[in-house]
Amino acid sequence: MTEEIDLDAVDRVVEEVGRTRDAVIPILRALQDHYRYLPPEALRRVCEITQITPAQIAGVSSFYTQFRHHPVGEHVVRVCHGTACHVKGADQVTEALRRHLEIHPDADTDRERLFTIEQVACLGCCTLAPVMQIDGITYGHLTGDTVPDAIADFLELKRRGVLAPAAEPVEGRADGLAEIRIGIGSCCIAGGSMDVRTALERAVNDLAAPAVVKPVGCVGMCHRTPLVEVVIPGEEPALYARVRAEDAEGIVRRHFEPQGLRRLRATITSALDHLLDDRTWTPVTRYALNVRDGAVGDFLGRQVHIATEHGGALDPFDLDEYLDGGGFTALRRVLAEMTPREVIDEIKASGLRGRGGAGFPTGVKWQLVSDAAAEPKYIICNGDEGDPGAFMDRMILESYPFRVLEGMIIGAWATGVHEGLLYIRAEYPLAVQRVRNAIEACEERGLLGEDILGSGFSLRLLVREGAGAFVCGEESALLASLEGNRGHPRLRPPYPSEDGLWGRPTLISNVETWAAVPWIIREGAERYAALGTERSAGTKVFALAGKVARGGLIEVPMGMTIREIVEEIGGGVAEGRTFKAVQIGGPSGGCIPAELADTPVDYEALSSVGAIMGSGGLVVLDDSDCMVDVARYFLEFTQRESCGKCTPCRIGTRRMLEILERIATGEGREGDLERLEALARMVRRSSLCGLGQSAPNPILSTLRYFRDEYQAHIEGRCPAGRCRALIHYVITDECIGCTKCAQACPAGAIPMRPLHKHEIIDDKCIRCGTCRGVCPVNAIEVH
Amino acid sequence: MPTLTIDGHQVTVREGATILEAARAAGIEIPTLCYREGLPPQTSCMVCVVRVNGAEGLVPSCGMIAREGMVVESETDEVRAARRMAVELLLSDHLGDCLGPCQLACPAGMNIPLMIRQIVAGDRAAASRTVRTRIALPSVLGRICPAPCEKACRRASHDEPVAIRLLKRWVGDEDLARGGCWRPESAPPSGRRVAIVGAGPSGLAAAWRLRADRHAVVIFDEREGPGGGMRDIDHQRLPPEVLAAEAQVVLGLGVELRSGVRVGRDVVLDHLRRDFDAVLLAVGEVDEATAAELGVPFGRRGLEADRGTHESPIAGVFVAGSAQSPSNLAVRALAGGREAAQAISQWLAGEEIVPAARPFNVTMGRLDEHTAALMAADASDHPRTEPSDGEPIGFNDEEATREGLRCMHCDCRGLSKCLLRRHAIELGADARAFDGTRRGFERDGTHPAIIYESGKCIACGLCVRIAERHREALGLTFIGRGFDVRTAVPFGESLAEGLRAAAIECAEACPTGAIVLREPPEMREEVAGADD
Repeated sequence: MTEEIDLDAVDRVVEEVGRTRDAVIPILRALQDHYRYLPPEALRRVCEITQITPAQIAGVSSFYTQFRHHPVGEHVVRVCHGTACHVKGADQVTEALRRHLEIHPDADTDRERLFTIEQVACLGCCTLAPVMQIDGITYGHLTGDTVPDAIADFLELKRRGVLAPAAEPVEGRADGLAEIRIGIGSCCIAGGSMDVRTALERAVNDLAAPAVVKPVGCVGMCHRTPLVEVVIPGEEPALYARVRAEDAEGIVRRHFEPQGLRRLRATITSALDHLLDDRTWTPVTRYALNVRDGAVGDFLGRQVHIATEHGGALDPFDLDEYLDGGGFTALRRVLAEMTPREVIDEIKASGLRGRGGAGFPTGVKWQLVSDAAAEPKYIICNGDEGDPGAFMDRMILESYPFRVLEGMIIGAWATGVHEGLLYIRAEYPLAVQRVRNAIEACEERGLLGEDILGSGFSLRLLVREGAGAFVCGEESALLASLEGNRGHPRLRPPYPSEDGLWGRPTLISNVETWAAVPWIIREGAERYAALGTERSAGTKVFALAGKVARGGLIEVPMGMTIREIVEEIGGGVAEGRTFKAVQIGGPSGGCIPAELADTPVDYEALSSVGAIMGSGGLVVLDDSDCMVDVARYFLEFTQRESCGKCTPCRIGTRRMLEILERIATGEGREGDLERLEALARMVRRSSLCGLGQSAPNPILSTLRYFRDEYQAHIEGRCPAGRCRALIHYVITDECIGCTKCAQACPAGAIPMRPLHKHEIIDDKCIRCGTCRGVCPVNAIEVH
Repeated sequence: MPTLTIDGHQVTVREGATILEAARAAGIEIPTLCYREGLPPQTSCMVCVVRVNGAEGLVPSCGMIAREGMVVESETDEVRAARRMAVELLLSDHLGDCLGPCQLACPAGMNIPLMIRQIVAGDRAAASRTVRTRIALPSVLGRICPAPCEKACRRASHDEPVAIRLLKRWVGDEDLARGGCWRPESAPPSGRRVAIVGAGPSGLAAAWRLRADRHAVVIFDEREGPGGGMRDIDHQRLPPEVLAAEAQVVLGLGVELRSGVRVGRDVVLDHLRRDFDAVLLAVGEVDEATAAELGVPFGRRGLEADRGTHESPIAGVFVAGSAQSPSNLAVRALAGGREAAQAISQWLAGEEIVPAARPFNVTMGRLDEHTAALMAADASDHPRTEPSDGEPIGFNDEEATREGLRCMHCDCRGLSKCLLRRHAIELGADARAFDGTRRGFERDGTHPAIIYESGKCIACGLCVRIAERHREALGLTFIGRGFDVRTAVPFGESLAEGLRAAAIECAEACPTGAIVLREPPEMREEVAGADD
């Protein structure tokens, strides 16, 4: 295929982005936005007109998964393979897509070049699992047989010319007025909140309701999105869950009954529009929730909001609102009343530890950077959250961008830094947009930039986007990426506090860590340290997902037990199922079995049972989840995300995966468990960075607690009925001969026999589970 | 100037020195693959790991800076196990053959690819030496050997195997016809005397090897003249004059043949033991009666003797060939004779007898059609050569060269420089400890000086760095990531484009046979240690 490529775009991009080596990722991103892939001619042109070399651009562009080297179809379907999506059937979704679009097994694009399928590590919408995204539109709660509906819906939207909704800042403020709050976190948007917002705005306008529709950050109740909360001064707030656009008017009517002339006009308008009135309209009450109701109370009641303070009430675009809620008080105090030394001591005294996973004492890190002599120094916010099943950092960046910035400004001031970066995962476009927006707002108000609040202190912050590499969450790989290289970690020590970005001392912390800083300064280290346990102070944000009734983003005091989180906040597993384990810490973490669920959330306690705090993914598993499958899933992830630099990780993770695949398909051999264990221990000991060192954890922890399940697979059984090669679908005598299964079976494995008991031809059955989903009498069992 | 302890040794090094440098200064050898002096540490192979201050995790010594008071463990079982596993993991994704499959299939272990290259280069003397260090009777075997080497020849996966037997025979016949065949140095005498019973392939091969070790040799045989059972082979196939002439080459090395003497009847074993320092029984296939006559216990299939050391239960008496284990393969008997001779030399020197082990080897396994075609691409595409003067005459010079050019050079050009192989042997690594997916075969032969086989690359990164330092316009880079990472020239360009100045240094630095000189000198010469 030799198409003429217009190279002027390259020159324009370079002109805009820059010519230095570290501009390579932004340049590649811009080129891909333009061409929708990276034509080799364009890359060569980049090398001609910049300092970027062919070796660098070829290495970098093939390292990050977001970069495509081949033209794609008109629309890109990104199927999420995060943990929650995996346990809820992402594989079936992919297969159904491939079947429906008739995509060849070796290809990723259909014949009409309309759709290209991509597998993504995690879209961070775990509570809507399984999820796929077509261009900007997210479809959740998919099953094999609803995939064609989703495609049809997308094509219909396209035909109608309805573009993907984009979140925009709201105009004006709600001074004294009632607020109708609508969540605009990614989960809410994926649940359709932008349509609801438009409908609410129209309803408020049409009915002349004395209220403003206000977009707010994440409430955390991602399992009930989209959420609408009506807050009228002096009244009990009302919360509505799973609201649809057509419910908007009813909600507005319920709280803001039009009066007088306004009422007349409004009634007429709405009558013309909808031909219904508030008395005949009832559905919305179905969704009405009282905050003091059991379920909501349990979900929110035991949480302590520090990083997520004012959750669900703050407009992420509104700096004034953040200021009204105590925002930047901490920064003002620091600038006016404290010495850098005092600030560092305060952070030390709070007991705050890095929330990225490893738990290094934050104050000590600040001290190291402060003590480092070399100049300039840098400050970095690590927002490259890549664990499948984790979306804490996304939520914080999307909902509380000002808080993260305030934390960084305080850190920079205390350690003498004047330049900093926020490295944010490419899969989080909303977070990137809102943080950029927040930086701009802060600069306008003198909270960032030159001479902050007249203190003489200056700090410049910039956002840099990743390009799809989990390993870049590892700090040395992140630095390599910022410098325009492949995300290869390097040996530590020296640590970034001594030898970081461009070889300079660099203070690098995770999003949640930065978000805790303003509260600590404002409320005092003592109050923070009083929360949690002796060695793990404060709170931890978790993304609670999986087989739990109420998933979402939660913030709990350290020391709360896993059981309390799962059962009280999460509402336990579904009726008829048994709580089996939690997977905590994602691909670097481990599984904690139900019998150890009284383990508290505490760095040391978790690691003593073979798990880790990790960044905060918490996926609940029930008896229908296979632990071999869970281990295999994570190994598949880590081996795909291995940078390939060191031997144990590059080859060791692949070999471990191969052994696991063997076991999961009933091909396991005698000695495989011992071989797997020995290899896992060696990879843990010998890998260069945290990714490789922790990659064996899911294996070692499941081997530790569920060894009998592995043994059963070697003997040819999957006790959870999950591993396809080891299971069969069987139709029982309950069958009423309705033929639904036969019609739905994508493989033609069920012959149509109206009014007779149906049978599944095992050789043809692809174990997709579609038949089970459509059977009205639950007559299909897995053996 | 930090002082640290490595395996109990105190070492003081300059500020900023690595643990590896400190260890080397203390004379402690730490294996490395991705390290090269003068380049920043790559810390990728993880073969140089050590334990520092008892921490659970191991660290690469090449990159870790030595600090005051560090306690380093380098030689513990655990550290060695980690190094071995790193090497085993690398081997599991290392696509190539260390040694030609033909050589491995040859019971005598003759370096066939080397012989072929010497034939093609017209270096008949060198070819003669390559053949005769392993095979004392090439003209004879070149007529009667069923050629297991040709069954293993990878060229068979493409069209037909290289005619190895006829090539070897050409070397032997040329020697006989023109004289000047290679002979081992056999002086000065060692002062030891060895009696060999049996002048068949095993006995003659043993004699040839024992003379190379400078021992005096007397062969006893009940028949008149040398050759043993080979004299009964159809004369069309093996003309008696060929057998006589080639046996004469062996005897010509100062070996005494006492014909018409049947040991056990004409002379008893104990007398031989008395008159000689060692006795080798190479009498061909025996039954229990013959064993009793010899006075040696009968084992499972022949005279009782250790399979590895060839020692019989009687001190100083060794057994080889069909007498130990019946076979109708002359080449196997011949290989056994040579092995037993080596064992005898070790025994005479008072050393422990080390049985001949199979050499360490990584193999490509079965080739699919596509790979075979890629490998054959650099060899002559001529079909297998048939001798124009007929099989009894064999190849003429031109035919030998033409056939030799069909060889695909499966054996690794990097054999003698390969650190992966060296460390694998030292650490006792098993090349097949892990099975699983491997890369496909690729050979970039576009460069005039070097050849690149990406399947052998261990992604150490040295060549990438070297190319960068030479400021190559294109150079080399890593493409992709994780298990699928490949070292390649950017934009899919050829190696000739990628490396204009750095090629030779890359080949020198490459710790495996991935980047090699097109014609490394050792590919024309036998390398000590490479085949034993």
